[in-house]
Amino acid sequence: MKKLLKTTCAFAMASAAMAGSALADGHSVDWAAELGDHTGTDLRIQVINDPYTGPLAQMSSEFGALTGANVSQDELGYGGLYEKQILNCSQGDDTYDVLFIDGIWVGEFAESGCIDPVESRIADTDDGIIAWDDYMESFAGQASWDGERQCLPIAGYWHMLHYRTDLFERAGLEAPTTFEEMLAAAELFKDNPDFPELEGGMAMNFQRGAAAGQQYFEWLYSAGGSPWASNFVGSDDVYADLTPTLNNPEAVKMVEFFNEIAQYGPPGVESFAWDERANAFTQGKVAMINNWSVRTPLFTDPDISKVTDDFGVAMFPHAEGQSSVPPVGGWIMCINANSNNKDAAWDFMKWFASPEVHTDFVLAGGPPSRHSAFQDKQVNAEQFWTPTLYESAQAAWPDLRPRHPGTFQVIDAIGLEVNRAIVGEISAQEALDKANENVTQILQSEGLIAR
Amino acid sequence: MLDVSDAAIITKKPPRKNTLSRDERKVRAAFIVPAVIYLMFMSIFPFIYSVYLSFYQAKLTRLHKKFFIGWDNYKQLFSDEVFLAALKNTFLLTTSSIILEVVLAFICAKVFLSLKEQRVGYFLRSMSILPMMITPLCVALIFSYIMNPTLGILNYILSGVGVEPISWFGNPNLALWTIVFINVWQWTPFMMLLMLAGLVSIPTSLYEAASLEKARWWHVARWIELPAIRDVILIGVILRVIDNLKLFDLVYITTRGGPGDRTELLTFFTYRQDFAFFNVGYGSAAAVVILVISIIVTTIAVGFLRKMQNA
Repeated sequence: MKKLLKTTCAFAMASAAMAGSALADGHSVDWAAELGDHTGTDLRIQVINDPYTGPLAQMSSEFGALTGANVSQDELGYGGLYEKQILNCSQGDDTYDVLFIDGIWVGEFAESGCIDPVESRIADTDDGIIAWDDYMESFAGQASWDGERQCLPIAGYWHMLHYRTDLFERAGLEAPTTFEEMLAAAELFKDNPDFPELEGGMAMNFQRGAAAGQQYFEWLYSAGGSPWASNFVGSDDVYADLTPTLNNPEAVKMVEFFNEIAQYGPPGVESFAWDERANAFTQGKVAMINNWSVRTPLFTDPDISKVTDDFGVAMFPHAEGQSSVPPVGGWIMCINANSNNKDAAWDFMKWFASPEVHTDFVLAGGPPSRHSAFQDKQVNAEQFWTPTLYESAQAAWPDLRPRHPGTFQVIDAIGLEVNRAIVGEISAQEALDKANENVTQILQSEGLIAR
Repeated sequence: MLDVSDAAIITKKPPRKNTLSRDERKVRAAFIVPAVIYLMFMSIFPFIYSVYLSFYQAKLTRLHKKFFIGWDNYKQLFSDEVFLAALKNTFLLTTSSIILEVVLAFICAKVFLSLKEQRVGYFLRSMSILPMMITPLCVALIFSYIMNPTLGILNYILSGVGVEPISWFGNPNLALWTIVFINVWQWTPFMMLLMLAGLVSIPTSLYEAASLEKARWWHVARWIELPAIRDVILIGVILRVIDNLKLFDLVYITTRGGPGDRTELLTFFTYRQDFAFFNVGYGSAAAVVILVISIIVTTIAVGFLRKMQNA
């Protein structure tokens, strides 16, 4: 697997260099000629209320100045956004023109006809604007379904380990690279009178449902496991055989590791989800968390964080003898199939996703998704975590979480059983055997595997 | 929360009189028809459609591809461990909440009855009904902050007396009882108000007679007060049973049905099927089961009340 990762990284670097050189050639876009006149058009965007909504609004106003469009955005929470988008789609609602959807929802949205594929629009657009090779490979794949590009990748997230540099220094420890080192560090920091400010060593997403279910997938590849028969790092066709292998020995060991490290978490860690995990870290209550990179800038914000100058980032840890396969996620930007302003929507999307505008977006606080943004000197100077994030993005596996129409239910079903194992109701083996059985039924009823 | 006026359904039917002229009947019908049409569209049609969908394997996003599967959704429901856990949890939540509410409400009502002539009584009574005036969603949010294991004030206060931090919503043995506690906190005032209204209507002569007989407080409660307000208590219980069968907000905000399935309720189960997975066929079957349970429980309770009234 190491060899494969090296090859992937080398390919990524080569692509980046090519894309970067194209940009360095001074490919400058004449936006006035490229974009239509959308005076009087109300362009409405539906977006997750993640930390980049401010930068998005800031950039959107620039598009308004260029084209005359009146751009507005509605922000919703994760579950609420999914519900509203699906309900709107089922009712043929045209309220929104541009939809931000989680990369793992693409199968559901594409197969339900909720979004217009952008493949033909990409073909009709200048390569310098789309610059597909400039996207991080691990994230770009999230925008495609069934061999067709459905949307534009816009906000890539990768997991990194976030740790308290001051505490690790005091304890004489390096940032952990393996599960075992992480467990030892978590144990050291828990209930240690030398670190009275801490309530736990490590906080993870253990809440029943999507939180614990997604975490299963996020850690599994770094544990050396594989959830589906044909989905492993480097697989040519991850959807060729979706027979669940959720209870593989590596996964069982991983859930046992979850169960063990939960003892060294803060009180109530078994009901932690994304917000609780991040809050515990920003309030200085835990020494380590694994977290999506989109939240990293928040940890430097003195208004909400107590650890602004005291944290560092490291690559996602892995099991002994395995390689780090950091989780990848994030948001892709799509055209609502029911929109009445599809051309204006596409103009906005291609402008917003273009390399130059994307770098401006990143400098304003948005998550980087392109090689060119990762390599930008100013970005690297202002955001110290960029090199580690870039390394993580190059080592990630795009199909870490399933992206078919049954994904929501599959993740929830796994999250229920993993949570049961974490709170000690059942063993890791029992939990994953049950999850495997339930997920098999779900995939059969979705027609994704044979009965 | 149902209106108290909904309890009107349990009153006896008046004897039918057919003394209206044809014109008068037309006028009455003209007033009723809009409401009936509204009800047809907003309640009866969705209900019939839900029953219809419950016999199909259907996803909201692909309704055109639904197919008839007969009773399979219902069979699957009663072999679904999570649904069975939801049934059990809903039963536990409903019974324990109502028992606690009745006991606490009676004690509070007695206290307020004894303070009825005093200004402090008016003040405390007004304050005590504040919880039921807060939106359940806000109550859930408030308690999720108060009971946050690391940042919440409750654990902070308890740590002052040496209690180790408690995971109120994360401990599998505690989570459901935490939900019950919050539920009881919010709705005891409702039951208290009903009981207080009942207690106030008891003639003072009965209390005077009890006093002359040197009756103790529990004699008064057992032989005078409880029999006098039992109708009121039963109406309150019926309304609270219906409320608890549809309790959702509290679990949605605080536990999401976890840890494991320890706080999974029927409503949350149905919500997840319908609006998280968009399995509208299976979700509709669950909704129909909830409705049937509600009808059975309320019919039994109403029958019981009628029997008491006739006794």
